[in-house]
Amino acid sequence: MKPITRRSFLEKSGTGIAVAGTIPALSIPVPQRGSSPDASAPTSQIQLKVNGQAHRIEVEDRWTLTEVLRDHLGLTGTRLGCDRGECGACTVLLEGKNVYSCSYLAVWADGKDITTVEGLARGDELDPLQQAFITHDGPQCGFCTSGQLMSARALLNDNPHPTEKEARQAMAGNVCRCSNYNRYLEAVLAAAEEDTSRG
Amino acid sequence: MVEKLKTVGTATPRVDGLERVTGRATYSADIRLPNMLYARVLRSPHPHARVLRVDPSRALAVSGVKAVLTHENCDIVWSSGDRANPRRLFNNTVRLVGDPVAAVAATDRHLAEEALKLIDVQYEPLDFVLDAEEALEPGAVEIYPGGNLSPVFSFTNPGPGKREPSIYVRGDVEKGFADSDKVFEGHYLSKHINNAQLEPRVAVARWEGDKLTVWTPTQGISSCHRDISTSLKIPPEKVRVICQYMGGGFGNKNQCQDSDLIAAELAQAAGQPVKLELTRKEDFIAVHGRWPTSQYYKIGVKTDGTLQAIELLGYSGMGPYKKSSGDIAGIDFYGCPSIKKEIYTVFTNTAVGANFRGPPYPQGVFGLGSMMDEIAHDLKIDPVEFHLKNFTRQYRDETPYTSSGLAECIRQGAELFEWSRRWSPAGSGTEPIKKGIGMAIGGFGSNLGRSSAVLRLDSEGTLWVHVGITDIGTGAKTTMALIAAEAVGVALEKVQVISGDTDRCPYSVGESGSRTTSHTGGAIVEAAKDLKAQWAANGLPEGDEELIAEASPAPRLQGVARVAFAAHFVEVEVDTELGSVRPLKYVAMHDSGRIINPLTAASQVKGGVIQGIGMALHEQLIYDENTGIPVNPGYYGARVMTHLDAPEVEVHFIETEDAYGPFGAKAVGEPPIVPVVGAMANAVFNAIGKRITELPMTRDKIIGASS
Repeated sequence: MKPITRRSFLEKSGTGIAVAGTIPALSIPVPQRGSSPDASAPTSQIQLKVNGQAHRIEVEDRWTLTEVLRDHLGLTGTRLGCDRGECGACTVLLEGKNVYSCSYLAVWADGKDITTVEGLARGDELDPLQQAFITHDGPQCGFCTSGQLMSARALLNDNPHPTEKEARQAMAGNVCRCSNYNRYLEAVLAAAEEDTSRG
Repeated sequence: MVEKLKTVGTATPRVDGLERVTGRATYSADIRLPNMLYARVLRSPHPHARVLRVDPSRALAVSGVKAVLTHENCDIVWSSGDRANPRRLFNNTVRLVGDPVAAVAATDRHLAEEALKLIDVQYEPLDFVLDAEEALEPGAVEIYPGGNLSPVFSFTNPGPGKREPSIYVRGDVEKGFADSDKVFEGHYLSKHINNAQLEPRVAVARWEGDKLTVWTPTQGISSCHRDISTSLKIPPEKVRVICQYMGGGFGNKNQCQDSDLIAAELAQAAGQPVKLELTRKEDFIAVHGRWPTSQYYKIGVKTDGTLQAIELLGYSGMGPYKKSSGDIAGIDFYGCPSIKKEIYTVFTNTAVGANFRGPPYPQGVFGLGSMMDEIAHDLKIDPVEFHLKNFTRQYRDETPYTSSGLAECIRQGAELFEWSRRWSPAGSGTEPIKKGIGMAIGGFGSNLGRSSAVLRLDSEGTLWVHVGITDIGTGAKTTMALIAAEAVGVALEKVQVISGDTDRCPYSVGESGSRTTSHTGGAIVEAAKDLKAQWAANGLPEGDEELIAEASPAPRLQGVARVAFAAHFVEVEVDTELGSVRPLKYVAMHDSGRIINPLTAASQVKGGVIQGIGMALHEQLIYDENTGIPVNPGYYGARVMTHLDAPEVEVHFIETEDAYGPFGAKAVGEPPIVPVVGAMANAVFNAIGKRITELPMTRDKIIGASS
């Protein structure tokens, strides 16, 4: 039996894992490639637009989006907590939707528009969510914070005035082991009050 | 109530909040050095086995693989990995699923992962034992020669003691039972759960000549520094430990971890910097979690509910390496003339049981708090009244507390919760959805002790505070800044905290035992006295001048005990058909002395409570009894709390005046999780009229008890 690799697993499952709670409605095109996933590191040329900036990069097909963002574009604000689609620390926006970047191959993101936590603020002007996270003491250890922010941003983009229940549902795929859920919820609802016009 | 201060006591957003919300905060995994290699660890698939042969030659033949370590070429003893026996980085025999067998450094993390598969290992599997009580039975496999009872260990006496149970006695329990009107017995079980902090273990090691720098998430740069120096036998000045930001730990990142040492050894062997990243699964099975317990209680009372005697016979499963006390605690929250506590801490072939927030308490308060609730129920005494009668007035009935707001926590908590209005007799609701309420009390030591601080005031009026803390998520940097601003008399905006780097900071006690505020905050207050005297004598510095003051106080409490207290109240809704339990209302009352930062302190309490609810309802590392393999490592399998599960937690502080500690501050970090599981269990009992005696209170147990 062939050992299961991340690539073969993700491809067989036919979908990246969307952040739980945001119904996984994304249909993800799986690029067909001739080479065996077990052969030594086939690569592809891809284009990414990250936080408004275009990148053309050569990636190994087995690299996840998290790896490319963190290790190859230097965007370490996206954290890696479990590397298996369970915790949400790696959440980024892909075409405006929140996805677990640890469970999304970089090659699938070819041609896509990505926003990471580094892209939330406009210059010195923080996203209202970022400001609310500071004011309401959202981050304790802060390791889940980027992911919480990105899921919250995806929520407010779709639903500028969420109810408490909708906010909980939308953020359900982002674990905070410090368990500062009360604060995060407060912060998201406060930010929604203040400003929901941003994308 | 405490007197109002200028800066301390003001709800203050974290001084590093901006870094935390913009992604700029640098965690250890974000460190990337030129020429850096990536490392992975090969771990035992067996719970107990001899390594007959380990052959890395096929891995070493791969281009890009730079170093492989095994027990054959690395004999280093991890000094803080076990207080009982020498624990090597690579042990032969391996004693748990996840024990390191080899480590690889390669130019790429995928290459390192692939290389692990090329290491040939031949094992001779041995019998294994998973349960602490079974491990003490005659005929059980001996994990170490001489049997599985582990030596006594305490934090005050950290060396390995004799292999005997830990025994505490006061009064005469036999007489106490004879004097009692009624004697209650009960058996409670708690399971191994993992700290599951969001940031996995990682270490980046770099040698520059004979100087080693390690970037690692640690709850104590000073102790980590000492452990690395001791384990690798290199002089302390040749080791630098850096931890600027860390993603939680809850006791999982005490001192140094074997990953720090393995990274350093690989870097040495390869002649290149190395980053060792643990996977989430490795973090669950190969670091440590909360030790499982089996608790047998016998408690004697008068018919009016007055406690006469408490006897506890307990067993704690420590895994094969003894890293912590294994105690089962909670009895000290009650006044009682006669106590006998006998705890057996036992080696098992499971994940190591060690520190996890309030290490011996939540499971102890689950058992003892359930017993107390059972007694109150049987004697038809309201649990609030029962606790007001029996809560501790003096530590172990003999030593006065420096301060205690426990009575107020219970009284005011019951009022704020509207206990009387919500109360109805156990099991009296109508099926299928039943409500119930429960309460429990707890606390955590707030000792004083040694730490250091260096303060520098420059001509711009900036106060530089050098303290060897790391901010595990408690807001310690902000707490230190508030204390410094208050003590010196400058605005908070003028304070710069320099922390998390052993080359730039003096000794600090470490982020364990809820001690940072008391110890290191206390050192800042001491140093500030000197700085203010200099300021008064010489005026503000000019140009390049600086006023510099330092202090290394080591205060000791004499004839008094210092404890932070808590009382928790919860209402739950139990669906007796689905077996689900949902907390509806939660009131957490805390006496932590003066609160330095009400904003972050309340966050700590909220988080501790919700974490505790996860322990009460869901979490358990489940082992396959036939293979000794843990089957559900990871967030999904552990069923940690999520946004959907978390109730709103109402937090109130009873700010008692305390003459010790910085401005009278006591512990905040650990107390919040202590009463939670007990309160939840009692609420479930009140709802369904049946007592769940084994954690976690999963649906199968609720349905089983309800039908």
